[in-house]
Formats: sequence, structure tokens, C-alpha cells
Amino acid sequence: MNGHCNDTVEECHCNNGFSDLIIDTKKSAVHRKHETSRKEAEDKSRLPAIEAAYTSILRELGEDTDRQGLLRTPLRAAKAMQFLTKGYHETVDDILNNAIFDEDHDEMVIVKDIDMFSLCEHHLVPFFGKVRVCVICYCHVSMCAITLCLSVQERLTKQIAMGILEALQPKGVAVVIEAAHMCMVMRGVQKMNSRTVTSTMLGVYLEDPKTREEFLTLSQHA
Amino acid sequence: MEHPKHTQHGPGEKKDSGDGGSVLNGHFDGLVKRPAGAGTVRAAAPQPPGAESGSHRAAASSVMESWREERTRSLEDNEMSLPSIAAAYTTILRGLGEDPQRQGLLKTPWRAATAMQFFTKGYQEKIIDVLNDAIFDEDHDEMVIVKDIDMFSMCEHHLVPIFGRVHIGYLPNKRVLGLSKLARIVEIYSRRLQVQERLTKQIAVAITEALQPTGVGVVIEATHMCMVMRGVQKMNSKTVTSTMLGVFREDPKTRDEFLRLIRS
Repeated sequence: MNGHCNDTVEECHCNNGFSDLIIDTKKSAVHRKHETSRKEAEDKSRLPAIEAAYTSILRELGEDTDRQGLLRTPLRAAKAMQFLTKGYHETVDDILNNAIFDEDHDEMVIVKDIDMFSLCEHHLVPFFGKVRVCVICYCHVSMCAITLCLSVQERLTKQIAMGILEALQPKGVAVVIEAAHMCMVMRGVQKMNSRTVTSTMLGVYLEDPKTREEFLTLSQHA
Repeated sequence: MEHPKHTQHGPGEKKDSGDGGSVLNGHFDGLVKRPAGAGTVRAAAPQPPGAESGSHRAAASSVMESWREERTRSLEDNEMSLPSIAAAYTTILRGLGEDPQRQGLLKTPWRAATAMQFFTKGYQEKIIDVLNDAIFDEDHDEMVIVKDIDMFSMCEHHLVPIFGRVHIGYLPNKRVLGLSKLARIVEIYSRRLQVQERLTKQIAVAITEALQPTGVGVVIEATHMCMVMRGVQKMNSKTVTSTMLGVFREDPKTRDEFLRLIRS
């Protein structure tokens, strides 16, 4: 679960080597492959507790929980929250396993403008944007929707890259995410038009500046 | 367009949005002769907080009360309720399968609680406080438009953000409003648990009551995260609602001019 990546973040503060970073996140990815922190079957049984929590929140905010518009809101909000974090009951393995094919193609494959929605783990407020992924490998994979879970954008970028790295062993992976964070737009500094861009370059994208440049040019081209 | 003032629990969720509005639209006399019963109706409500926005009672009286509403929440209330909201968020995190003790989530319940209070800070403010000093006598009878006012609200059904733009136009009748006050009206009503239809009407009615203009038009164009991030998951859909009062409703040319000017 996301906690494993957290440990590696702390570790990489100690190791300055970039290759160490890759190895550490790889360790977390292995953990991630085989376990899910939430089973889909458990969702229904956990609903009442989350519902009760939302009812309490509404009351404490000064709202009247008996008014028509709010009568079923705790249930709807609980279900919505479970949906927005459904990434917890999916593994990379499940999503990718059946969709890897051998192809004799060793040029860049870019998939861009993948809509991405996630929840900021610091404020539980959405952030959303677009993901650009580029892979050079000898195989083809159908790109999947990005999983939803509580995230920090930097970690999300790295997780996507690591997931692809493990599944395909490509020559290189590059992931760029450009997102708007509602926690910055709707509250706090309230900067309407700010966007956060994070990227992870692995393999040949890290080592060869020309390849990196080609990716960045191609993916930004409208 | 006459509708009964006292509504029963009719079918469907559109009660708050559609019905009572037509009692107000274009019938300014009805507004002036505010029923004395409005005060007692409020007292009979089960709980005062938040009763202003969308009660079962006649939508007319509840919306008209916007001008006189009691402040429903104070800063002290916020401070006192913060621990319980934070505890509720901790429960939610656990229920979602997360570990509230991990580093990234340690203070999240508090941050989320503060954020939620910020997103509903409209309950702490009264229109009357914001507007009273900024109404001026001006001999101006051409349309005044403030458009592209960024708006952020919370869907009352899913507790998920709504964001978009508000365009406001009015035809003054010897009285004009400070321009930023229009944005402040939007803020007060949007920072609540809302339904877009109701929000549009509340803004229009507040301006009407403050200025008694010849007409008011409000258009809101918004994206609902509850439709984009979940449910039907339609990325690019936008919801547009409008409220036209007075001459904006009666005269198609005026309405047309307003709509054209906000598009340009």
C-alpha cells in the first residue's frame, strides 16, 4: 500500500545516489504487486462506519442533516469516497497481466492526455490532470486507467513508472503528470491557474538527454 | 405563474430548485410584502443551522430570508467542532483501508477538517454584513455585468467539489452595488453545501433584495466532480444554470444582450 513508498522516501533522503532510489522504489513495487490493502468484498461492511462519520461531519459543520438534500448524503459521500480510493483493491499485476504482447517495435510509444483523478492525502481534496507516458520496449501494452488512491503527486508519478518498468522491462520509461490541486485552488493560497508538474525518467530516458528531449517535444506537441 | 406558497413534500429532488422560484421571478411586489410568518416559520424549524439553504418549507420564504438570516456558525463554533470532525475523518481513513498513523496521513484528519470548514465558510457570513456599505446612488440605467467570477462549491449530495464561473448582470434602478460585492455574494453562497440551481437563485435574489434593480440575470457554468470523477465519469460535461428576474425575464432583447455580452 502507499505506506511502503513512504519508507523509501525517507531512505532516499539518506542515499543521494539516483540508482539507489530506483532500487528502493523497486522494493516497494514488489510488495505492491501481490497485496491489496483493501478487499472489494469488505467495502460494503465498512460503509456504515464511514457513513456515520460523514453524518457527524455534517452536523459539526452546522448543517441540518434532516433536510431533504442531505438525507442520504452520508451514504452517497461514503460510496463516493470508496470509489475515489478504489485503487486500493487493484494490483498492477491484475491490470496489466493479460495485455502484454511481443512486438518487434523499438521506437518510442507515447500515450498522452490520460485523464487522471486522485485524492490529495494531506487534505482529502481532489487533484486532477493529465498524464503522459512514454515507453521504449519490445512489446506493446494496452495502457490502462490510472488507479485511484490517496496520493501525493510525486509518489504517483514514480509508482506509475515503476509499475510499467516491472511489467515490461523496457529500455526506458518516462512519466509526466501535470495536475491542478484543488487544495491549492479552492483553499489555502487560492491560486486558480497554478499547475504542478512532476516527472519520472527511468532507463534510457534518464541516461540519454536526446531521448528525453524527443519525448518532451513529441508529448507537448498539441 | 402562480405556485402555492406552502409546498407539501412533492416528488423528486427538484423541489428546492424549480418550484418556489417562479413565485419570485418577476413578481417584485411579492418580495416587498414579505410574510410576517417568515420569522415564525424559521422558529419552527427543527434546527436553525443551515435551514436557509433548501428547506422543505415554501422555497419563497426560505430564499427571501437570505437577507435577514442569522449567522449560523461562528469562529468559536469552528474551533469547538474541529476535534470531532477530525475524529470523523480518522474513522473514514480507517474505513477506506488506510493506516492513519503513516507519515503522510498523520495530520490529515485535522487538515481535512479545517479544509471542510473552509469550504463551508459561507455559513459564517451574512449578506447584510458584506453589502451594507457598498450600495451607492447613481443615475445609471444601463446594464452592469461582472463575468467570469470563479466559483467553488461543494455538492451537497456527494460532498465533492463543484467549480466553475458565475456571470452576473443587472439593470440598476438608481442604486448600484460595489463591483467586488457581487463576487462576495457569490462567495457567501457558494462556500456551502449546495445544489447549482439553488445557488444561482440565491445570488439573484440577494442582489434583487439589496438593490431593487429593474432586473437581474445570473448564469453559472460549472463542472461537477461528482460527475467527472465518479458515476458517469464524463470528463468534459458542464452544467449551466441561469436565473432571470425582472426585465431580464420579461424582455427577450435585454436577456439576449446580457447573454451575448457574457459570451464575448
